[in-house]
Amino acid sequence: MTAYIARRLLSMLPVMVLVALFVFLLLHIAPGDPAAIIAGDNATPDNIAQIRKALGLDEPIWKQFLVWVSSLVRGDLGRSMFWNDPVTTLIAQRAEPTLSLALTTLIFAIVIAITLGVTAAAKAGTAIDRIVMGFAVIGFSVPVFVVGYLLIFVFAIYLKWLPVQGYTPLSEGVLPWLRNLVLPSIALGLVYVALIARITRATMLDVLAEDYMRTARAKGVAPRHMLLKHALKNAAVPIVTVIGIGVALLIGGVVITETVFNIPGVGRLVVDAIARRDYPIIQGVIMVFSGIYVLVNLVVDMSYTLLDPRIRY
Amino acid sequence: MKITRRTALQGGIATAAVIAAPSIVRAQAKPSAARTVRAVFHGDIPTYDPIWTTANMTAYHGGMVYDTLFGIDGKQQPQPQMVGKWGVSDDKLTYTFELRDGLKWTDGTPVTSADVVPSLKRWAARDGGGQHMMLRVKDIAAKDAKTFTIELKERYGLVLEVLAKTSTPVCFMMRKKEAETDPMQKIDQVVGSGPFKLNLDETKPGTQYVYDRNPDYVPRADAPSGIAGGKKVNLERVIFVNMPDAQTAVAALQAGEIDFYEVPPTDLLPQLEGDKNIKIEVLNSLGNVGQIRPNFLHPPFNNEKARQALLYLVKQSDYMKASFGDSKYARTCPSFFGMGTPMENDANTDWFKGGQNLEKAKALFKEAGYDGKPIVLMQATNIAIMSNTAQILAQELRQVGLNVQVEAMDWSNVVQRRSNKSPPDQGGWNLFITWSGGSAIGNPILLAAHAATGDKAWFGWPSDSLHEELRTKWALAGTPEERKQIAQQIQANAWKFVPQLYYGQWMQPAAMRTNINNLLPVAEIIPWWNVTKG
Repeated sequence: MTAYIARRLLSMLPVMVLVALFVFLLLHIAPGDPAAIIAGDNATPDNIAQIRKALGLDEPIWKQFLVWVSSLVRGDLGRSMFWNDPVTTLIAQRAEPTLSLALTTLIFAIVIAITLGVTAAAKAGTAIDRIVMGFAVIGFSVPVFVVGYLLIFVFAIYLKWLPVQGYTPLSEGVLPWLRNLVLPSIALGLVYVALIARITRATMLDVLAEDYMRTARAKGVAPRHMLLKHALKNAAVPIVTVIGIGVALLIGGVVITETVFNIPGVGRLVVDAIARRDYPIIQGVIMVFSGIYVLVNLVVDMSYTLLDPRIRY
Repeated sequence: MKITRRTALQGGIATAAVIAAPSIVRAQAKPSAARTVRAVFHGDIPTYDPIWTTANMTAYHGGMVYDTLFGIDGKQQPQPQMVGKWGVSDDKLTYTFELRDGLKWTDGTPVTSADVVPSLKRWAARDGGGQHMMLRVKDIAAKDAKTFTIELKERYGLVLEVLAKTSTPVCFMMRKKEAETDPMQKIDQVVGSGPFKLNLDETKPGTQYVYDRNPDYVPRADAPSGIAGGKKVNLERVIFVNMPDAQTAVAALQAGEIDFYEVPPTDLLPQLEGDKNIKIEVLNSLGNVGQIRPNFLHPPFNNEKARQALLYLVKQSDYMKASFGDSKYARTCPSFFGMGTPMENDANTDWFKGGQNLEKAKALFKEAGYDGKPIVLMQATNIAIMSNTAQILAQELRQVGLNVQVEAMDWSNVVQRRSNKSPPDQGGWNLFITWSGGSAIGNPILLAAHAATGDKAWFGWPSDSLHEELRTKWALAGTPEERKQIAQQIQANAWKFVPQLYYGQWMQPAAMRTNINNLLPVAEIIPWWNVTKG
């Protein structure tokens, strides 16, 4: 197992090198000039050229890449062109809201999706099954921002139950923290609920058709016990895989959700940085997100051994 | 140890106290909500240095933490601000200024002439108006701790106007330490002498900027007017919240989570006007003037006739209707200096009075020798008014037989590409769309876009020696009447060589909770002194 983990961690290196190369090249090939944005609209071409020089943007791309990579290998993600703050500091400042949102979304999505998926499988072919699957299709199809605006209108403006936007740190109390996260978590979690519910239902139906399930039924095992203990446990590997793959969806959704709900997280940080072409921030956040995605997949792979004792690495 | 209900309760209370303690401490440190304003503006602050950038958001920040020697009042006249007494010699070549009493930096040290002199020099190195003045300045010198002079080589009638202007970069005063920084390097430290101070502990760049009342600030005794007069602060704290999503900002305003929103979209105004807790106010009555910039370097707009054709082609009312509907906030703008500005006039505006004339435009393009090559028009799709304008302009150009290639991109792309002087088919361009503040448009010297100095000019690189001669004459004029006369000559000539043309003028109404009162109407800056809540 240790050797497997070490191998997987080592295999991250070429992945991260490729990510670094692609991110840097894509950003620098894409049009846009941070110097012009910093200078403002009334700036003269001379002013913009001076700022470009001050930021080192007049250097050849290969040189800029080498400077960035040499910092990267020392664990330094660079500094914001606009704020001059280290990118690591900016990411650290924004990490709590994003982690909070990801956590509450995951809990919401997993609890709701597995309940819906198991129920749909248990009631396969009935109206309940069709309603659940219809809901899953809607969850997949409606964009996060539309769900977000609808939730804001109903629960924040009309009913006035929850705040429209913002984030309250956990240190200011669990309830205020949760109040700000309810609507964003539902908006972001809906697509995730749809994904997990569908895979849970499909996998459960496969497992329920197995011979050992028939045997259990014949032995008089209670339906609830059969569903949750025998079927769900055996269906867990594909479900956990989808949860892991869905982290990419979650990361993409966080960027939009944080903008709609004005949550000062890493997603907002990168959206603002893209609008301003603040290269070090964009590069740094993508590197961190890529690393997290690779690590989540490693954790998912390792969890298989817990869910299915037959799997060994 | 035996756990009883009493010990469990005590433990629970202790745990709750530990969890709640940080928030209780923080709550005690925060000013009350009744004296705190949360405001959302048109964007984020790109940098703290208001001299390094011309971005308006940085000028808003500057207006909070820094002060100016002079300020423009509500009648567009310069009035002393940090300056107490001042005078000019009989030959009008030496201006002597004395700083008023009680001025202090937020680090506690007094503001002196030794701070003012490098501040003026650094600002003048970056600002078009400052550069224009410095061409005539022999020396800027500190005479004692409170007195400084500006000595001129020749008479220059705009000294006070340039020092007082609100167009960016504004002439903010900084500490000697920061002011001596190379003008090409930005300053990250914020130590001002303005009515507010930046609270760095609570500020989170990109998210929120917290400004607390500066208890050491001594306002002038005069009534506030424009950015001049007494800057009396009635609030304890103003928070600039960066909220890029307009829908969210409007919803937050309706829910009372923010108090002020600078740029509610026009299509959402009816929704806000119907809310009894919200009021709509125009703070900048000169508003913005939409500009279409032709590129003088390449055909067809290197030909005066083609540029004149644009005047007959563009029907401003259509552009305003597309972006503002039948809004009371938009109008047409035939004056080169914007409508409502002191220099507004109607010299050489027959092209406007006669209405859109497509036949005339077609004929002028023919005279210009237009050969059917694609006209590259840059469309900033992420800014609604610019996007709408580009679509209408493209359609109008096509109507008179031009081959238009609309290049859709975001604004960041436009600002990069517009600096490219190459031919349009090699990464350059023919036309782009932007806007400027009405007060800046109204001054032929202070707006970089008004220069027609060819290679040294703003994007589009217009060139016209008569225009430059008249601008200089305007700057040297002794009286407002003389300036108005010269402004007419500038306009008559401008609508002949057409350095730019306009697609309309609009006022951006701001939306706020009804308990926010006494915001001062100022162009280009939003002052938070004088404002009351409740």
